[in-house]
Amino acid sequence: MGIATSTKPFVERVEEAKKDKFMQASVAKAQDAQWDKREAARKELGNWEQWRDLGEQIRQHVIKYLPDYLEEFADNVEKKGGHVFFAKTDQEATEYIKDLAVKKAVKKVVKSKSMVSTEIDLDKELMKLPGVSVMETDLAEFILQEDNWDEPTHIVFPTLHKNRDQIQKVFEKLGYTGSNEPEKMAKFARKYLREYFLQADMGVTGCNFAIADSGMINLVTNEGNADLTMAIPKTQVVVMGMERIVPSLKEAEVLDNMLSRSAVGQKLTSYCSFSGKRTDDESDGPDDFHVVIIDNGRSNALGTQFESVLQCIRCGSCLNVCPVYRHIGGKGYGSIYPGPIGAVLSPVLDGYEEFGDLPYASSLCAACTETCPVRIPLHELLIEHRHVMMDKLHTDHSLTNTIMKTIGVGTGSPILFKSAMFGANTASKVVSHHDHDSVAGFLYETGRIGKLHKPVPKFARGWTDIRDLPQPAKSHENFRHWFKKHKQEQAAKGGK
Amino acid sequence: MGNANREEFLDFLAQKAKRPRHQLHEHPFQPLNDLPETTLSGKSQDELLEIAQKNSEAVKVDFKKVTTENLGKLLDEYIAAKKIKNLILPTTDKWNEFNLDKWQKEQAATYWQPQAAREVNIKTAQSADGAVGFADYLLAESGTITVATTAGQGRAFNFLPTHYLSIIKKSDIVPRTRQAMDKYDSDIKNGVLSTSNINFITGPSNSGDIEMVLVVGVHGPLDMTYVVVEDL
Amino acid sequence: MKVAIFSTCVVDLFFPKVGQAMTEVLERFGCDCYLPENQICCGQPTYNSGYLKETDKTLHNEIDSLLSVDADYIVGPAGSCVAMLRSYKNSLKDDPEYAQKAAELADKSYEFSQFLYRVLGVVDAGAQLDAKATYHRSCHMTRLLGEATAPFVLLDHVKDLEMTPLPNIQNCCGFGGTFSAKEPEISQTMVDEKVDSVLSTKAEILISADPACLMNIGGRFSRRGEKIKIMHIAEVLNSNVDVKRIKYKKDIEKVEQ
Repeated sequence: MGIATSTKPFVERVEEAKKDKFMQASVAKAQDAQWDKREAARKELGNWEQWRDLGEQIRQHVIKYLPDYLEEFADNVEKKGGHVFFAKTDQEATEYIKDLAVKKAVKKVVKSKSMVSTEIDLDKELMKLPGVSVMETDLAEFILQEDNWDEPTHIVFPTLHKNRDQIQKVFEKLGYTGSNEPEKMAKFARKYLREYFLQADMGVTGCNFAIADSGMINLVTNEGNADLTMAIPKTQVVVMGMERIVPSLKEAEVLDNMLSRSAVGQKLTSYCSFSGKRTDDESDGPDDFHVVIIDNGRSNALGTQFESVLQCIRCGSCLNVCPVYRHIGGKGYGSIYPGPIGAVLSPVLDGYEEFGDLPYASSLCAACTETCPVRIPLHELLIEHRHVMMDKLHTDHSLTNTIMKTIGVGTGSPILFKSAMFGANTASKVVSHHDHDSVAGFLYETGRIGKLHKPVPKFARGWTDIRDLPQPAKSHENFRHWFKKHKQEQAAKGGK
Repeated sequence: MGNANREEFLDFLAQKAKRPRHQLHEHPFQPLNDLPETTLSGKSQDELLEIAQKNSEAVKVDFKKVTTENLGKLLDEYIAAKKIKNLILPTTDKWNEFNLDKWQKEQAATYWQPQAAREVNIKTAQSADGAVGFADYLLAESGTITVATTAGQGRAFNFLPTHYLSIIKKSDIVPRTRQAMDKYDSDIKNGVLSTSNINFITGPSNSGDIEMVLVVGVHGPLDMTYVVVEDL
Repeated sequence: MKVAIFSTCVVDLFFPKVGQAMTEVLERFGCDCYLPENQICCGQPTYNSGYLKETDKTLHNEIDSLLSVDADYIVGPAGSCVAMLRSYKNSLKDDPEYAQKAAELADKSYEFSQFLYRVLGVVDAGAQLDAKATYHRSCHMTRLLGEATAPFVLLDHVKDLEMTPLPNIQNCCGFGGTFSAKEPEISQTMVDEKVDSVLSTKAEILISADPACLMNIGGRFSRRGEKIKIMHIAEVLNSNVDVKRIKYKKDIEKVEQ
């Protein structure tokens, strides 16, 4: 299914999400806890805005010279005896990896968490090979796998939508007999997965950053499974989005610091590793080291107004501050890349037909832009997507489109606006009512408009379906009228 | 595949971006500030030790300070306290540096062996319930030890054993990631260091994947002890 | 000092009291206020919906109108709309006719409380209000205009007003302009949480510097039948004023020295 996690339409997904009270509570709790941890970690580091400048500069620089850095990286991997394959599509990537698995007579594959491997459906492709089994070893990904390959709902906390009881049930199928305590369930997973690790002959990892001048890859994790994936199997495959590259170990180190703080509020995660093909005198680590560099739609952003989306370091902090994600969760977005970054990235990768709803799933509150450690102007890019869809592709043919264009005309012409101010009160009178008055103050001084019904356009009903609308001021009571009178009175008094 | 596959891919990116290839040599990366170097700089080694201790303990590390004279005794106590039965040690000439030659020879330990096959060393590490190893640097800011993989202290050495103790010289405490990275970067480029893998390890393995409750010890060691040798 | 009032379409259409209160406060502090006749709207409804082409005329009209009065400053009662005015400088930077005018406009535009605090240096506007209140911080005023201090300082100095912090103050109320009408399902969950947060403070009054957020939150309060009084910050700062109480930043600094 690639990056789509659902075949249902957006409205249905939102409807379902609204009913999922557990999910909403757990996302809210996670957001609130992460808010405190993240802000404290950034504050303790100090000069956060200048760190963001540096993070942005590094990412902009490598995107600008992306082909050169990829070339340098590939040269250095190959110099050390590794292999690099450039895949334009998900299919090219999975075919290469499957061919390799066949050639190496691989039986057991261990994987550490990688969003790009989910994007290209690597697990399912590998399992099509006879005699090959695949094991996700990140605790969350393992839970998803064992729960009939459930889809991730967060790029850093993939099982945010599941509670401990649900996870206990998943583990019971594997022979777990203990309680629902996270500590005990994690111990069970440790033992279960350790046995698998020791037999694995292929390891698949993602890549936080590829180091161009050394040919190493950098992984930032907490559990230690990625390091076992890079230590034990004879063959290692690294799948990386083509933009995940830095000039040297130094820039990797800067971004690791920013990533850890932004993603989980830690100064560094438990394990930050820089790794490649084993040297001749070392006994573990991969004999065979393959890096698969994947485009799969990323190049759609190059040279366009969306290029900055490639700066993303997948920290997930924009999800953690997003009030829309807070209420609809990952499943509401229907993409493995949810939240603000997902709403920008998913249409770039897969087009507007599949993901054209997502740029509208935002109140443009800019919390994402404010938190982004590499200064991606996320909310502006959402407006850009809307711009492309409305002004350039004209994807909206509804009455809403006509209304928006009318507003455009009305707000551009003083005469039209004045007549609107003059007539607004009269036009709305039929629907206003005063049947309750729980709200005091200026809002409903003229009157209150309750729920509107057809034939009022859907767009206007959208407002009144859930909240009352103030009745427009009468033309002889509006602010302009008052101001004119006020100035006349001042003049009459001989004041200024 | 090789070159043709690569060239086509990279040319396509350049064309999409409307920027010609091979411009980088004239525009190398120049960082716009020196925060990585200046943050937490100017501290004495004593101050760094204090900061390192605070930050290590914050990530659930058992942090100990000792002199070479008492190091062996401390290790004995550690092994007894953790009830370690199968100890794994690295093959290294550092024992001498830390005045641990005698201690090492007294241990009924297994070793990560430079000449042994992958399977042999992994099996040894998997069977070990405790590891005592050496770190290259300790980062004060984050409570992180750094270890470059060597023939005598392989990758899995750091991840498979149940309990893990790391010995660090006080003089190898540095402010933060940057200083350690500078040294690794230059050592690799000057051929002083040959390694395929560098681990920055900050406390024990953990996960927040179940309801974001922090669980310690998922895949890697269940606990971490750092021992700073104050007279080195 | 001459001030052009940027009234905003929401205040023009719906909320005369907000405009009045703002004018009266500004005049109290010696501002000579003008209301440029041809102004309409900052352009957010269409711009933020992706109708950039359709918005051009709106932006040009707003610039021409607001600059038609030779004022020292332009002051508006809505943080979000003022942030939009300031953003013209960037969005019209390649417009040969309007780039310079847009920059001029941006440089002298202020949100009302920001203007009082940053330009006039006011910390105590002399107001008094015996009530318990909470403040909703608008996203655009905080993040796009970058003003996260002025309203809090001014409200803290209102005599007898007890301010209670709003939990999760950082979260959007679910207004989002056309978002509130286009995605009512999502907007509802957001505004419901905001209403619940306000209720949890036990405040009698909800104050903000953005009338559109208040229209949204208040509208949901009204639909749910929950009790609250809604006030714009200008109304609060115009309540029971005793000019003897007025204090400026410089007065406080003197005391501190």
